Amino acid sequence: MTDTAQPIWIDPTDCHYPEHPAREAPTNRHLPHQVTWDETRQFRPRMHPVGRLRYYHKWPGHGARLWSRVRYWPTRRRVLNVRGEYNPKTMRREKTIVDKRPIWWALAFVALLLAPLFAPAGAWNTVMSAAAVFAIYSAVNLCWMLIIGTAGIFSLATYAVVGAAAYGTTYLAIRLGLPWWMLPLLGSLIGLAFGMVIALPAMRLDGFYYALLTLGVVELCRVYVVQSREFGSATGGLYGAPSYLPAGLAQSHRLLLGYYAALALMVLALVIYRFIDGKRLGRVLRMAPEKREAFAQACGVDYIRARIQVFLISSTALGFIGGFYATHFGGASPNLFSFDTLLLSLAMLVIGGIGRAEGAVAGTAIVVFIDRILIDLGPLRFILIGAIMLAVVLFLRDGLFGIKQQFRTWRDKKKSERRATRSEKGGEMLPEEATETEDKDQIFFRRFDKMQRDFLKRLVSDAVIEEHRMRPLGQHSEPLERLLIYFRRQGQVDKYAIMVIEEFKAYRIVALSGHRGTAPRVVEDRLYGTPDEAYHALFLRRVQDLLES
Amino acid sequence: MNWGFILSNAITLACVYGTLAIGISLTWSSLGLVNMAYGFIFAFAGYGAWLASALIGPYPAMVMAAGILTGALGGLIVCLLAFIPIHDKPNFPIRALIATLAISLIGNQTLLWYFGPRSKSLPRLFGSWSIDVAGVVLTSDKLGASLSAIVLLTLILLWMRSSRRGLEIRAMMMNPHAASIVGIGVRHTGLYVMALTGSLAGLASVLLAQTYYVAPFSGITPMVKGLSIALLGGLGSVPGAVLGAIILGFNEALTSTLLGGQYVLITQFLLIILVLLVRPRGIAGLLDKAREA
Repeated sequence: MTDTAQPIWIDPTDCHYPEHPAREAPTNRHLPHQVTWDETRQFRPRMHPVGRLRYYHKWPGHGARLWSRVRYWPTRRRVLNVRGEYNPKTMRREKTIVDKRPIWWALAFVALLLAPLFAPAGAWNTVMSAAAVFAIYSAVNLCWMLIIGTAGIFSLATYAVVGAAAYGTTYLAIRLGLPWWMLPLLGSLIGLAFGMVIALPAMRLDGFYYALLTLGVVELCRVYVVQSREFGSATGGLYGAPSYLPAGLAQSHRLLLGYYAALALMVLALVIYRFIDGKRLGRVLRMAPEKREAFAQACGVDYIRARIQVFLISSTALGFIGGFYATHFGGASPNLFSFDTLLLSLAMLVIGGIGRAEGAVAGTAIVVFIDRILIDLGPLRFILIGAIMLAVVLFLRDGLFGIKQQFRTWRDKKKSERRATRSEKGGEMLPEEATETEDKDQIFFRRFDKMQRDFLKRLVSDAVIEEHRMRPLGQHSEPLERLLIYFRRQGQVDKYAIMVIEEFKAYRIVALSGHRGTAPRVVEDRLYGTPDEAYHALFLRRVQDLLES
Repeated sequence: MNWGFILSNAITLACVYGTLAIGISLTWSSLGLVNMAYGFIFAFAGYGAWLASALIGPYPAMVMAAGILTGALGGLIVCLLAFIPIHDKPNFPIRALIATLAISLIGNQTLLWYFGPRSKSLPRLFGSWSIDVAGVVLTSDKLGASLSAIVLLTLILLWMRSSRRGLEIRAMMMNPHAASIVGIGVRHTGLYVMALTGSLAGLASVLLAQTYYVAPFSGITPMVKGLSIALLGGLGSVPGAVLGAIILGFNEALTSTLLGGQYVLITQFLLIILVLLVRPRGIAGLLDKAREA
């Protein structure tokens, strides 16, 4: 609605005389103050949808029972991290589950236990053997995650340890006729010995040098096994290890038993992971992440010792898994040492997120599903796995389980960007000043004042100045009146005033000091002959200050 | 026991693997990236050369050029996928390592899917003659491979010493941060480096295919050998890579003569571990602080 006609001023005092028609006069055009308000409040920058704030479900309170908590037995950690507090609005007891991961863990474990019930009958064999492979591989990956994530040693020789233990135990079992339960124990001995050998260079080397060296060790094992006659170069693997499955068992029961045994192995690996990563060794190593080793050492953390300890413990566990592998599959094949196995297991770790147990398990589940169940795809499934791995590396910071944290970081960035867009200064406080100011009324007053000045600046026009020059005192149009009201209620400090030097002859503009006993400051040398001239000069000076602010 | 034969064999392999090692070293020192997709580039270039020889004709120069150009293309692919998007993100070295491993997985499986598992053989580039030097029979492929590797490597090193691009690359090797401050674009130079090292892989691939075959997974073993040579010589040092190639070549020759072929890798790794225990950065490696970005 654009109004081109000159606005009409209606005398407000005419309401006292309703019998007359109201007195009207044409007046200057002026802007309603609502315009500036709306423009300032308008949000200009384009924002992205960044999701809601963190939401916690509030459970009803339970008084004294909050303080008797269930704990994991050997640790002092609570089963669920529950925070109890009073709601300040309703003054009611409330409890908040701070970390719901234990619930998800328990549900996932129940799902794994019940999984055979839901396996499709048509593909029972495929699915159940894939499930057993998943459990064994996730046990291996958990131990590897300890080495890579917790200890920070980028070792690629995991499968060298597993394979050496599997080959060694199979060989010894065939030679000596050992029972099946000896194999994992023997395997852990072999793993410990092997771990000691490859931990030796880990004390001196770091990062890539160690990664490349261990890659070479894997290749060395593969070539040795493929060429060596007693390790089955002719049959493509060494088979004939004793199995833990009873001889007279039906095929489907064998698979079921194998699956549960492998699941037990995985739970064992999870326990080891938790007991290393979550306790003293893990704390010590988290103190010394990459590039801060010197600092950690200066603080008295013997991180090399801790790393080697973790490395040896996980090598022992890997050897145990190797022995289990031999009894589970009845032997070992050179496939364990191949570059592709290494790549696929690295994909498992990376997809789930390096440095977290649930990442290792979930990544293994994804990769094993693509690799073993979607077998009809042929080489395409490796391409699929590689593409997922590449996408995770390029776009995610911490694998699939880091997405939530990454999203929150991004949202915080967006929020701070939004706050920064409000920081154009013009009397208003910048955000960092505003956070440091005790009196929050100050912040709102400064913001209001800035808006008011923005509005008043646009009221200044030649017509208004001319009007003031004609009649400094008396009745004014609305814009002029608004300007004068604003000028009048300025603070005392540096407020302009007119000093009478000689009545009706000489007037001068001064600025009040605002402090008792301090004389006003002379603003300019000019003397004005009449009060009206002085009024107008002062007005012009105020207008100039307003426009400059 | 034919010493001359084994020695000439080892020298040929040392030349070829040295080429790979120099490529790996250059990538590491200038970009801070351990290129695990090098085996894939190797196989990719071999297939490029094979396609050129099958589709156009067995002209030696063209086959070699095709191999080198496909290798450069492979290097550019790796650079575009694994260096440019993540080189300024946190935790770059590990992420780049994993990204190149992923590229290697995808690439090798694509080659397997497209060309099938059967290996191909390239035409003989250097003819089939042999000469007898002081009782040692040098066949054409070995002599040609070593000579062309040495000649092309010398050309590339001269180019690195004398040209403007080479100067940029060497500046990146010394200090990438300072290089970017004085106006040497990290991404721009990264493309040149990866094309150069990719073409080195292509060269090695064509030369090695004279003795072996081109297969989807033929790049893994040469890559591991190249990596271990680079490791022995010190990542990031060209003379170190040459020295490492010579040492490991002679180790291979001596071991296979004295102990037997299956002990080659064992002695090789024992040697590498011994050297690394004494000098953790290899024989001529850069110091710790020199390469941090």
